[in-house]
Amino acid sequence: MKLQLQPVVAAVLATVAVLAAPQAYAQKAEVIHWWTSGGEAAAIKEFASAYTKGGGTWIDTPIAGGGGAQARTVMANRTMGGDPPTAAQYNYGRQYEEIIKEGLLNNLDDVAAKGNWDKLLPEKIKNAVKVDGHYYAVPVNLHNENWVWYNKAVLEKAGAKEPTTLDEMFAAMDKIKAAGGGVVPLALGGQGWQEGITFRGVLLATGGLDLYNKTFKDKDTSGPGFRKAVETFKKLKGYVDPGSPGRDWNLATGMVIEGKAGFQMMGDWAKGEFINANKVAGKDFGCFMAGGPKMPYAIGGDVFVFPKSKNKDSEVAQKKLAEMMISPAMQVAFNNKKGSIPIRTDVDTSKMDVCAQAGVQAIKEGRLLSSDNELLSPDAKGAFEDVVSKFWNSDMSVDDALKSMTVALKR
Amino acid sequence: MTTTTTAASIAPQDRARPRPRRPWITPARIGVYSFLIVTAAFFLLPLYVMVITSLKTAGEIRQAVLFAWPSSPQFGNWVEAWSSACIALECEGIRGGFWNSVRLVVPATVLSVFLGALNGYALSFWRSKWGDLLFAIMLLGAFVPFQVMIYPLVAWFRLGGFYNTYWAILVVHCVFGMPVLTLLFRNYYVAVPQELFKAARIDGGGFWRIFLQLMLPMATPMLIVATILQVTGIWNDFLFGLIFAGKENQPMTVQLNNLVNTTFGVRRYHIDMAATILTSLVPLAVYFFSGRWFVRGIAAGAVKG
Amino acid sequence: MARSKRPRRLHLALHVALLPLAIIALLGYVGSVLWSIRISFSSSRLFPRTDWVGFTQYERLFETERWIVSLNHLGILALVYILGVLVLGTLMAVFIDQQVRAESWFRTIFLYPYAMSFVVTGLIWQWLFNPGLGLQSAFRQMGWTSFTLDWTVRPDMVLYAIGLAMIWQGSGTTMAILLAALRGVDEEQWKAARLDGVPKPRYYLSIVLPQLSPAYATAFVLLAVALVRTFDVVFVMTSGGPGDASEVPAKFIIDHLFGRNNIGLASAASVVMLSTVFAVLAPLLYWRSRVQARLAAGH
Repeated sequence: MKLQLQPVVAAVLATVAVLAAPQAYAQKAEVIHWWTSGGEAAAIKEFASAYTKGGGTWIDTPIAGGGGAQARTVMANRTMGGDPPTAAQYNYGRQYEEIIKEGLLNNLDDVAAKGNWDKLLPEKIKNAVKVDGHYYAVPVNLHNENWVWYNKAVLEKAGAKEPTTLDEMFAAMDKIKAAGGGVVPLALGGQGWQEGITFRGVLLATGGLDLYNKTFKDKDTSGPGFRKAVETFKKLKGYVDPGSPGRDWNLATGMVIEGKAGFQMMGDWAKGEFINANKVAGKDFGCFMAGGPKMPYAIGGDVFVFPKSKNKDSEVAQKKLAEMMISPAMQVAFNNKKGSIPIRTDVDTSKMDVCAQAGVQAIKEGRLLSSDNELLSPDAKGAFEDVVSKFWNSDMSVDDALKSMTVALKR
Repeated sequence: MTTTTTAASIAPQDRARPRPRRPWITPARIGVYSFLIVTAAFFLLPLYVMVITSLKTAGEIRQAVLFAWPSSPQFGNWVEAWSSACIALECEGIRGGFWNSVRLVVPATVLSVFLGALNGYALSFWRSKWGDLLFAIMLLGAFVPFQVMIYPLVAWFRLGGFYNTYWAILVVHCVFGMPVLTLLFRNYYVAVPQELFKAARIDGGGFWRIFLQLMLPMATPMLIVATILQVTGIWNDFLFGLIFAGKENQPMTVQLNNLVNTTFGVRRYHIDMAATILTSLVPLAVYFFSGRWFVRGIAAGAVKG
Repeated sequence: MARSKRPRRLHLALHVALLPLAIIALLGYVGSVLWSIRISFSSSRLFPRTDWVGFTQYERLFETERWIVSLNHLGILALVYILGVLVLGTLMAVFIDQQVRAESWFRTIFLYPYAMSFVVTGLIWQWLFNPGLGLQSAFRQMGWTSFTLDWTVRPDMVLYAIGLAMIWQGSGTTMAILLAALRGVDEEQWKAARLDGVPKPRYYLSIVLPQLSPAYATAFVLLAVALVRTFDVVFVMTSGGPGDASEVPAKFIIDHLFGRNNIGLASAASVVMLSTVFAVLAPLLYWRSRVQARLAAGH
């Protein structure tokens, strides 16, 4: 079979032409993330536009599902397969711990030095993105999962006072229950992760920062404080409707919006549902932090990591991305659209709504907390939530639950 | 074999003709039709919910009355799902994935069915120890949870240098289709009389000639069944398309997943349902138009065990 | 059948033709199983590690309640799903065989669920079973106030809800297999049976269905494969809940593979599940191959 020369020569010439092209087009950045819905996409659009304006090409690779689980699956496989993206979204935590250990991520020390991250980032956030003294992830926002949302009209009708702590919430829920009319006091979506959020909210309300750290950092579940939290958690079951198992979180929020339920314990992404239904914070719905006004803010939210690749251009692109994402202008633009809080304290947060301002205050006062995501391995966190869910849904005794939780934490 | 072909190729109404006329309304017939209608209602219920949900507005969905007919059917939802629904930064709907899926399904089906037929033919007419062993492995392999095979396959593809390309996803679909297809074709060919094969050999036919000119055309009913099964399975596949296809070859189901499965964003069930129906139209159409051949094909093949 | 020695050319052709099968079977299936077994003896988290930890992963596996429970559930689902589909499929096939009008419509209606993926149909089923949203609330609003269908929120009934959704999806193809086999049954038998005064149901039960055993065997294998792979429907319909009341092995494995960064444990679980399936099926398949060898020998 004779080899045709002409196509080969043409291919060689074309390759040379591409290689000789101006460097601007070489700064392609493929970014994996899971922000596919309208509101979320508006936020990442800010990043994409800024990067494109700066001369790069943003290649968007959204992968929805499982709260990021699908995206992480793809990321793990692409890393194994030798075709990693330029950047990938993760949540604060230990999900990317092993990727760092295997030496598969580029560190961001240059960018950090230039941007003075050591001074800029609050202590706890710094700890979350620094491993062995090197920066491996760029933090882009702060979410908190332990908010409580309520429908003002429902509370008013039942004659309940608007609560600012969990105890007051119980009182309000009793009033709603007594008022009857088919209104559910607490709207819960019966899925493992939602039950987990509810539990951690109760934990913070019962014992605050100390109990939270004792449980997730020291893995110590002995002591009356933890037991009280477990019992209080089960007490909430009496306020939840029987149709709760399996329900999606946003349908539970819908119940609160439509006045079919009074309260929901959910993260600050629930705000998006209210806004979409044209409800106004402070007028139609209210919010408070589960652990009370001085509750420490458990760190949640998103970071981006930058895998190593054979392509030298990708390193340049990665540094540009990191710098851009943490810049003051981008922090404001991104977080305004996302509904979360910027991780920089030197930006203008006055336009944010009441609920977000509370979070900003928490950062300013240094009330940040390493979350269970950071303190536990993904396996341990999952096993712990399994027990929480089983305890909630069955008649498992408190003692058995305590025993199983202790075992789970030690994974 | 002859009774099968005769019975299967005569349409039901023709079979009824030689019989004496019987009154149609008997308790037995009422029983038969009631059962079929009730069962059909059970089967159609989810489709009904899907369709009416796809025609509602977001407000109606929030009110959560599942079976309520939409106050004014929003066919615009379907248009939006197809061409303008936003998935992350792109607001092109799910139509982009449509051609990727077609581009993938056609060759993957042809290749996997061909290989299945080839294997069935080789295993049933050309007995060999190796063949029987491989077949047993393949049959047991059908039960291996496919998630477990993902990492090893990724590793193999990386070695071969073609991970995350069109070829990777093509090979993956052949790998996972092989057990069932081989089983179906082998069962089909086992029922073919050996005399036919011997005669072809005597006529001087070699391995490939007998396959391509005799056995493959003969297996047309089973080819149709296998094609229908593969088209449905490959079109509806999501996980492999996500992991092995690479961004340029992303099938429609991956896009559908991105549209439907946002975790923390606002969920728009009406658009989700419309998008799902659109994605399912291809396999649905395949079943609708070829159901008859599906049954006939199985009649001629799989039932002989 | 006396097999004469094949000329080398044909021998080569046969081997070339079987090459894809060999590569896929050995590299793909055998390779994956061997790899899983190896990993199950290591402490691998997200990426494979080459250390040896003995049976630690297996010990941990059987200390994990969620896993034990998932095996039980697979057993229950096996009964509900396979029996349910075989019975419903038989009924649908038999009734359609009665020369009904609009046969092709019924056939399409029964077959279409298989064409749809469970990613969204699972969500619909979740809504249908939800007491506040689905059939229960609809019937109660219509006046039937004691109607209860809240299986998905009850730990003791949730598996049956999943079984029902799976039966909905899988009956059509089994019906097609059985219908095709029914069409192959000799018409004369019914005439003879009628003359003998055998009522139709008896006729089907005692005379026709036994002749369909090869078709039932094929259907059974396909159903067993589908059952072991059951994942989407559980994931979307109940996420394994309430609690772990509807957990299944395939979901346990996937969750631990990439969600919990523990491929060591997931591999151990896969090995256990595979062994269970092989233990049950290998004798069956061996018996079948003996039967077929006898049939083939008759050629």
